[in-house]
Amino acid sequence: MALKKNKITRALLGTGVLTLAGLAPAQAQAADGESIIRDRCLVCHTDTGDASAPFSRISEQRKTPEGWMATISRMQQQRGVVISPEEKRELVKYLADNQGLAPAETQGLRYVLEKEPNVLESFDPLLQETCVRCHSGARIALQRRTEDEWKWLVHFHMGQQPTAELHAGARDRAWFDIALNQVAPKLGNDYAFNTEEWSQWQAVEKKSLDGRWAMSGYLPEKGQFDAVVVISQNDNDRYSVTLEGQYADGTPISGSGKAIVYTGYEWRGTLTVNGVKMRQVLAASEDGQTLEGRMYQRNDDVMGGKVIAVKNSAITAITPSYIKQGERKLLTISGNKLNGSISLGAGVKVISIIARDEERTVVIAEASRTAKVGSRDIKVGRTSADDLLAVYDELARVEITPSDSIARVGGAGGSIPKQKSWYRAVGYAAGADGKPGTADDLRLGYMPAQWSLKPFDEIAEHDNDIQYAGTIDNRGIFTPGDAGPNPERKMSTNNVGNLTVIGMVQDGDQTISAESHLLVTVQRFVRALID
Amino acid sequence: MKHLKSFNKKAKMLDRTTSQDEVEDVVAMQSMVGCTSVNDPGWEVDPFGGLGSLCQPMEADLYGCADACWWPAQVPDTMSTHPNWSQDVSKADEDWRKLDSVFPEE
Repeated sequence: MALKKNKITRALLGTGVLTLAGLAPAQAQAADGESIIRDRCLVCHTDTGDASAPFSRISEQRKTPEGWMATISRMQQQRGVVISPEEKRELVKYLADNQGLAPAETQGLRYVLEKEPNVLESFDPLLQETCVRCHSGARIALQRRTEDEWKWLVHFHMGQQPTAELHAGARDRAWFDIALNQVAPKLGNDYAFNTEEWSQWQAVEKKSLDGRWAMSGYLPEKGQFDAVVVISQNDNDRYSVTLEGQYADGTPISGSGKAIVYTGYEWRGTLTVNGVKMRQVLAASEDGQTLEGRMYQRNDDVMGGKVIAVKNSAITAITPSYIKQGERKLLTISGNKLNGSISLGAGVKVISIIARDEERTVVIAEASRTAKVGSRDIKVGRTSADDLLAVYDELARVEITPSDSIARVGGAGGSIPKQKSWYRAVGYAAGADGKPGTADDLRLGYMPAQWSLKPFDEIAEHDNDIQYAGTIDNRGIFTPGDAGPNPERKMSTNNVGNLTVIGMVQDGDQTISAESHLLVTVQRFVRALID
Repeated sequence: MKHLKSFNKKAKMLDRTTSQDEVEDVVAMQSMVGCTSVNDPGWEVDPFGGLGSLCQPMEADLYGCADACWWPAQVPDTMSTHPNWSQDVSKADEDWRKLDSVFPEE
């Protein structure tokens, strides 16, 4: 029996919980994770008496910090747990540190923690037909449980959302039996509680991230930026952060805030950058020299982008990442501790250095007319980066990223803001075979584009979606239409729409365009920490 | 099937999804993180990867599905988890502005 059913015990302990919750924050903070579990969770969960798994259910799961935060929030909202904010933070830290996921266990799944928009997933059909009908696959794959625990999770869903077995794809088969007796054992095997990766990670000595870092990244509203990030350790795994730098157009980017590191590598920062509250979800490398992930606006998580920060000497980016045969252009090399002579590879010369410090070097470069088409390794002093600069003959094709996307109507006086989407154009040269769209195409990188919209199909044209669903600006940012029924539309349809996004890239005399699919749809009324 | 002819708009849409490009569009939109692939009816996207077969405007029949927790990861289920979510909004098509999202306490 996993849970106590004694209501009297619960009521009595509940009184104690309330009393303890009234303690001063300092006293509450002093409590360690294990005592918080004893004080707050054993109202329902039991002390098993087994030192290797002391608490029923709790000790048989491992999760990300967001996973534990969501669990405790659910216990508060639906199971009546009373816990102070300070204790909750402390408990999430304790559980993520002691029952977290190893870096290898989050590999390829971090997009859901980073709140990256428009990710298409592909999971095993068995999972797709059960869990992934409602949740992301990553939400499941970022948990580790014993087989019994996975089975209890199936039972929980049947109790909480029993109509799950009435959906299409469920009602035509023995859905509950499949979920319990096929899916749960599979999850117990694929996402087992005890793993080699976790044992190894627990043995690794975790590095302090204190120091001076160089960060490069992309934010959709202003573009590519470089910044010096100073990280100062205040307490165990708790840091203060400053960020000072500039966007590619010279506009300053400046911010400060704080961060916590969970599980020895999961960096979660909250900063105010140029007056906007932002979050950083980054992973520290095992050697403590790289932080990589995504930075996004706290109130609009679509509006953010990939960032990388390095502590050692490293080249993180060159902008733009392409130069045409015979072309002379301005290139910015970003990184950390960059000293010494600059080499841009065969056939590409540095004509002059416009600006230079250890994190950012701006040069005028020239590619010879006979420079061989292909990617170049970049070197600054002894520091190098492979295949960072592309030399090309002509632009052969363009791809729009993301290829499929959604935006959601919102605003208009309602409580839920609009969910935007944004696009970038990636250029390619044809490569040695001279044919675009083949395996040897040379990726040039992100190129400036002009943006427009058109109806995706005949139905969208007939319903005049283009007039109502939203607009795209010259940065490639799409802003959807207002929420609510629209009396102007047939049947007062919402301002939804099925659209094609067109990006047009100009390269010399050439103009090449490409398309991507955008579905403008309705709001989402559930905001999850992990979708 | 060759003797059967599509009669209404939805059936004609179904016919068209047999082209490989359209099947890929449907799969893409339904495998996007944050969207449900429960599509009888769908929430963000219909079985054809578009919007034509969704309940529209969604406010008109919102509670018909939310009460039965049809898309509990997208719309609060008022059956078990969030019984009070819409208690102050008896007519969603008129008072939709008052409907807020639910989110975890932090």
